[in-house]
Amino acid sequence: MRLFPRLAAGLITLTALFLPLLQACQVQRRSERLVVATSARVGSVDPVRASTFGATQLLSAIGDPLYRLGPDGQLEPALATALPRVEGDGLTVRIPLRQGVRFHDGTPFDAAAMVFSLERFLAIGSLSYLLDDRIASVRASGSHELELRLKRPTTVLPELLSTINLTPVSPTAYRQHADKALPDRFVGTGPYRLTTFSDQQQRLEPFADYWGTRPRNSGIDLISLGNSTALFGAMGSGEVDVLLSTGLHEDHQQALQQRAERGTLRQGEGPALEIGYITLHTDQPPFNNPTLRRALAHSLDRDRISERVSQGLRPALRNLVPPVVSATGQNLWPAYAPARARQLFREAGYCDGRRLELPLTFRSNIPSDRLMVLTWQAQLARDLDDCIVLQPNGMESTTVYRQLGEGAFAAVMLDWRGAVPDPEAYLFPLISCSEAQGGRCLKGESALSGSFWTEPGLQQTLVRSEGLAGDERRRLLLEIERRTARAAPYLPLWLVAPRAWAQAGLATPRFDGNGRLLLQELERQP
Amino acid sequence: MSRRRALFSYLAARLVLAPVMLWLIASLVFLLLRVAPGDPVDAVLGTRAPEAARAALRSQLGLDRSLLEQYGQFLANLLRGNLGESLNSQEPVAGIIGQSLPASLELGITALLLAALVGLAVGFSGIARPEGKVDLAGRLYGVGTYALPPFWAAMLVQLVFAVWLGWLPVGGRFPPTLVPPSGSGFYLLDSLRQGLAGGDWQALAGSLRHLTLPACTLALLLSGIFTNALRLNLRRALASDYVEAARSRGIGERQVVLRHALPNALLPVLTITGITVASLIGGALLIEVTFSWPGIAFRLQEAIAQRDYPLVQGIVVVVAALVVVVTVTVDLLVALLDPRVRF
Repeated sequence: MRLFPRLAAGLITLTALFLPLLQACQVQRRSERLVVATSARVGSVDPVRASTFGATQLLSAIGDPLYRLGPDGQLEPALATALPRVEGDGLTVRIPLRQGVRFHDGTPFDAAAMVFSLERFLAIGSLSYLLDDRIASVRASGSHELELRLKRPTTVLPELLSTINLTPVSPTAYRQHADKALPDRFVGTGPYRLTTFSDQQQRLEPFADYWGTRPRNSGIDLISLGNSTALFGAMGSGEVDVLLSTGLHEDHQQALQQRAERGTLRQGEGPALEIGYITLHTDQPPFNNPTLRRALAHSLDRDRISERVSQGLRPALRNLVPPVVSATGQNLWPAYAPARARQLFREAGYCDGRRLELPLTFRSNIPSDRLMVLTWQAQLARDLDDCIVLQPNGMESTTVYRQLGEGAFAAVMLDWRGAVPDPEAYLFPLISCSEAQGGRCLKGESALSGSFWTEPGLQQTLVRSEGLAGDERRRLLLEIERRTARAAPYLPLWLVAPRAWAQAGLATPRFDGNGRLLLQELERQP
Repeated sequence: MSRRRALFSYLAARLVLAPVMLWLIASLVFLLLRVAPGDPVDAVLGTRAPEAARAALRSQLGLDRSLLEQYGQFLANLLRGNLGESLNSQEPVAGIIGQSLPASLELGITALLLAALVGLAVGFSGIARPEGKVDLAGRLYGVGTYALPPFWAAMLVQLVFAVWLGWLPVGGRFPPTLVPPSGSGFYLLDSLRQGLAGGDWQALAGSLRHLTLPACTLALLLSGIFTNALRLNLRRALASDYVEAARSRGIGERQVVLRHALPNALLPVLTITGITVASLIGGALLIEVTFSWPGIAFRLQEAIAQRDYPLVQGIVVVVAALVVVVTVTVDLLVALLDPRVRF
């Protein structure tokens, strides 16, 4: 009967031998290709369906927009050759298109292809609402000239046309999919061709006939790993060459940043276009009282929270429009001032024996939300224990989004990233209102955002800003934001910038003005 | 009624009940998804889309029709074998399942074989000296691995073997720099075939390396079940009258264990294996998530989060059908092997 212990010992020995053997069988990395990892999975690569970070990041490498935002945030023509030319009535716009461009299937790019792609996007695009209320029709006014007929004058058209979802697709390849998405293939004009696609892994090869600057590497393998530990570990073991910060926990980001400071990694940072904020339900007690909202705004120690939650990786924010977009440099929301907060709480009838019980909802599947709420809870207990007590309420994000517009939450923590880097893309989705009753928004973005806040005349001012340009428009939008800050229906909290880390032998990663990693610039350095 | 006839009646009853069971499960999933808060339109358009855009998409997806109409359509499609299209990617649900199920099966079958091998060996090892050191170690192993929290074990294994030692990949199913082999969707088999055909073994080595950690972790977690089951049943068998009778006839201990006790002790293990296989078809969610293994459980979790109704329904129906097939097969197998079983 001694056979069996021997058998077990043999098995254990075999296992111990098996792992190093497999390690020895390590697949040889082809040095000329680069592996880029993120947590984002790509459900569909069709521009009409792509809305997640992973999908737009992929599209930006395999497609070209009409205009693009460079790393410095400057708008530059890509498939267009010049900025849109507005005709006399302000409603007709002509865009000259680049000649000599070819799709990945070898067919030529021209105005007809652009019309096909835009009409397809307007008809079946998930994000078609971005253009629906602005563009009435599209037509080819020449072989390489596009004519857009607008519904109303708009000054942000070039920015809107820089949306990667408007990248043209080959009419030949998409003929059977004019009214239906093609989720797993892409035939566009970008610097890379998509040769293999799954939601977890995409293989990109440089496009030999690309009209612009050729990629500096011999191909990219984009992979998605399911959790932050896996991403961090893969970077540490050298399994991946470049790691994107999406889905990475703050402590892992911090560790990577420290490695970059020591020179063992290279870190690149993109524009901070995502904001974290708290929405207050202004149509219901207690936050229908503006004094209480201002008190809450003064009670928020953003710097401390940012330090505790993200070790400073998420800078404190006191505006709805990120500084990189507004370029004003002014902080519009009230600063942290516990004494002033106490005074305002008193004015609202709290403190001195009566505490405000604030139910703050957060998305339980977002680790930073939970940390923020717990930190703020502790900070309020320290500063204003006799005036307010915070009651955290975690909820799955899908449920939060569904119930937001129904006014289910007195206060809820959310984030937002504008579709284009323009103040309008932050103000309209949070405060525009199509039907109001005094200071209550009954229908519109403000209601959908869960704040239900508006002011008489605010919507008209927002609409007026659309027809303006330059400094006049910037001033008006700043004034709108200032009015919002005074009423404090939202409490901006922090900014989130995309980051990427590359192994030491690679060039420092760079981002474009839309916060997407420039994959074609990644290269090994001698 | 003869035993053969009884077996046939049992099989017929199970086969008749299977569609009813599937209908019940499908209906329950259909209803629960619609009752749960959340809207698939949010997943496609985001939460800030204007109401007009939302209404248009709702109409396009057929979500504006009455619940009864949607249910009728769902059942009609199901009867035709049409599982519909994913709301998010617009890919056929059958195609998505066709990609994910082989991944889960590959992981599950490998883990099960490893678990059975290790678990049975450990369970067997202490039999020579009950309550001895080896037996005690086996008992501890059985209880310890069974009690391990899967997510913790998976992360620890990942941390040690992938991150610290760097021996094996952190996650994924195939090396990103290689093109995945085409064929059945079972990468091990496909890459083996590719190696045999073209002499390129990189794909096979890559598949094996990626499979090792998740499969070994899952096997570790499952092996305790086999260890405990075999230990207990073998001890019970060794204490039974027929074993005593064998011993009294002068049969050697090895023969007594291998010929008389072991076959009887393995029968309950077969039932446990069946139940384990059935649960593995649904996927080992935590293992798949931790190791970014693109299996059916990982996909189901995503689909639930996105309220992708057709995909959730499709996955649940297919998994339920497979579970029914596996449990019936195991029941029949046990009945065939064990003459004591009555129907």
